[in-house]
Amino acid sequence: MTAEPALELRNALRRFGSVVAVNDVSLHVGKGEFVTLLGPSGSGKTSTLRLIGGFEELDGGAILLNGQRIDHLPAYQRDTATIFQSGALFPHKTVAENVAFGLRMRKVPKDEITRRIAEALDIVRLKGFEARYPAQLSGGQKQRVALARSLAVRPAVLLFDEPLSALDLSLRLQLRAEIKRLHDELKFTAIYVTHDQGEAMAMSSRVAVMNSGAIEQIDTPETVFHAPVSEFVYTFIGESCCLPLRITATGVEDRKGETLGLTLGERPGEGECRIYVRPSRLRLTGDAAALPNRLRARIHFIEFLGDVYRYHLKAGALELAADHAGPIGYAVGDVIDIGWRNEDARVFR
Amino acid sequence: MTPLATVTSHIAERSRQERRKATAPWLLMLPALVIVLIFFGLPTLYMVRMSFNLHVDQRLYVPGFTFEHYVNLFSNPLFTTAILTTIKLALVASLATVFIGYCFALLVWLKPARWRLMFIGLALAPLLISEIAIIFGWWMFFPKNGLLSYALIASGLIRDKVSLMYTEFAAFVGLVYVTLPYCFFILLSIFDGIDKRLLEASADLGATPFKTFREVMLPLTWTGILVAFSQSFIWTMGTYATPSALGPDTLWTMGFLIQEQMLGKHNWPMASAFAVVLVAGVAAVMVVTRSLQTERNSFHV
Repeated sequence: MTAEPALELRNALRRFGSVVAVNDVSLHVGKGEFVTLLGPSGSGKTSTLRLIGGFEELDGGAILLNGQRIDHLPAYQRDTATIFQSGALFPHKTVAENVAFGLRMRKVPKDEITRRIAEALDIVRLKGFEARYPAQLSGGQKQRVALARSLAVRPAVLLFDEPLSALDLSLRLQLRAEIKRLHDELKFTAIYVTHDQGEAMAMSSRVAVMNSGAIEQIDTPETVFHAPVSEFVYTFIGESCCLPLRITATGVEDRKGETLGLTLGERPGEGECRIYVRPSRLRLTGDAAALPNRLRARIHFIEFLGDVYRYHLKAGALELAADHAGPIGYAVGDVIDIGWRNEDARVFR
Repeated sequence: MTPLATVTSHIAERSRQERRKATAPWLLMLPALVIVLIFFGLPTLYMVRMSFNLHVDQRLYVPGFTFEHYVNLFSNPLFTTAILTTIKLALVASLATVFIGYCFALLVWLKPARWRLMFIGLALAPLLISEIAIIFGWWMFFPKNGLLSYALIASGLIRDKVSLMYTEFAAFVGLVYVTLPYCFFILLSIFDGIDKRLLEASADLGATPFKTFREVMLPLTWTGILVAFSQSFIWTMGTYATPSALGPDTLWTMGFLIQEQMLGKHNWPMASAFAVVLVAGVAAVMVVTRSLQTERNSFHV
């Protein structure tokens, strides 16, 4: 999918004392691609980004930008621009001066700077805010200025360091859509760090799921979601219920040895394993009747989540959660049928 | 009660409340205000009045009104030289203090937090000792048989013992040492208010370390620099013990002359005139530094 790589990481390594923060990470990012580094805190995603930006030093490997090695260059000589989580706007400069900063440092002629400030602020829809100071802006506006400041210098690659995580939900969704729109329009190359899988899914050309310093899987959002390569990726992308089971010669039991009416599409062989099912894929009551995997479960408690009701269920030693669009007509303590299709479950051991 | 009476009583109640609202802050400030006025305002006024009194024979002062002391102050070359010397010494010492304090505070701010406590302890140390004890310390350091002399010989830089005691340099070092901790803490508090990510953002946008300093650090710390300078300057202008104990006999500062007029010559009006000029001079410097603070520099504070 990538014609010419704009950015390339070759076996990047970064240690903090005895901790390996970035462990042998290799990554190709094509021109115009939007790659997200997704992972829990401490997975090395921010360290990877900081290596690219030049804020951390590489302990091994190489970083190439448009075919040129940049890992020996200080941050101010790299053609990258970062959008920080805090925005990191200069508090003593106006919006226009903030946007102009990178251009002045790159010795862009004055009238060109004026033109580009107007253009950048137009892109992020902040026309008329030129003379304001950062303290006079809201959180969302600050991040838009930060975005404009980075876009204005037209870097080879834009680095996003969890830029939306400090904002409230509605603003986050709004800015997320806006970044997506900008990427579609301007076709910039971007690396986006986040721990929010929704953000990763919505914006990315490709998602790299990171765990303890390494990339577990990198692929399109659809593939990562539907065909996760590891248990970690599966559980990190989206919610799921975990069923610890034991497979014997005669059938499937729970860990207490009780035989269950499960067929399981893929059987990993005898022994202990874990099955995962997403709450949205569990069928309840009548819907479960003809399915190959069925359990009798007691309703433990019910949550109303807005769009759906979430039924927390107990089937013997197993605990499950199932989403249903409306109330199913049963109350806490009732025993109901639940089931799922073979293709809706994943088995890991 | 008639309706009209109810309305008027309401209005009266409302205005009473408003008056209470207006007086409340003043009442809260009153204790502090009284202390400031009695212990600082009155003595200063008394000093100003004293500077116009007459000085006859060997009497401390005679009530009266004359400008003679001020005229004397600005016409006697002995006094004008002392004023200039004091200003020069204070200026150089304050600039040096701000420079050293700035570098030190910057270092502490940039270093990882685990070093911080050690540096702060180091900076606090001089504050735990009185100015007199510090002077005794320097007396062990500067003379011919002092630490400095031995250290220089041991390092092979010089062959004969030297004494820097009773030099202007010693006075300068002493002044810097006394004011440095205050300067350091003022600047550190300013640094602590700055988001370190700004340095990264600046580098990220292509600014060299030097440009980052000039475009980001300096404007953001400018207020702190001015405040630190003002306090250093006030201290070094007024201080008496350190320069007289470490400097040469010929180093006549205003502090020294005030002491001499007061205790040696028993000329209270003259000493007061000196003190008034000193206070006015320091106040003028405060006004100037204040005017150098621009509104945008205080945005992050």
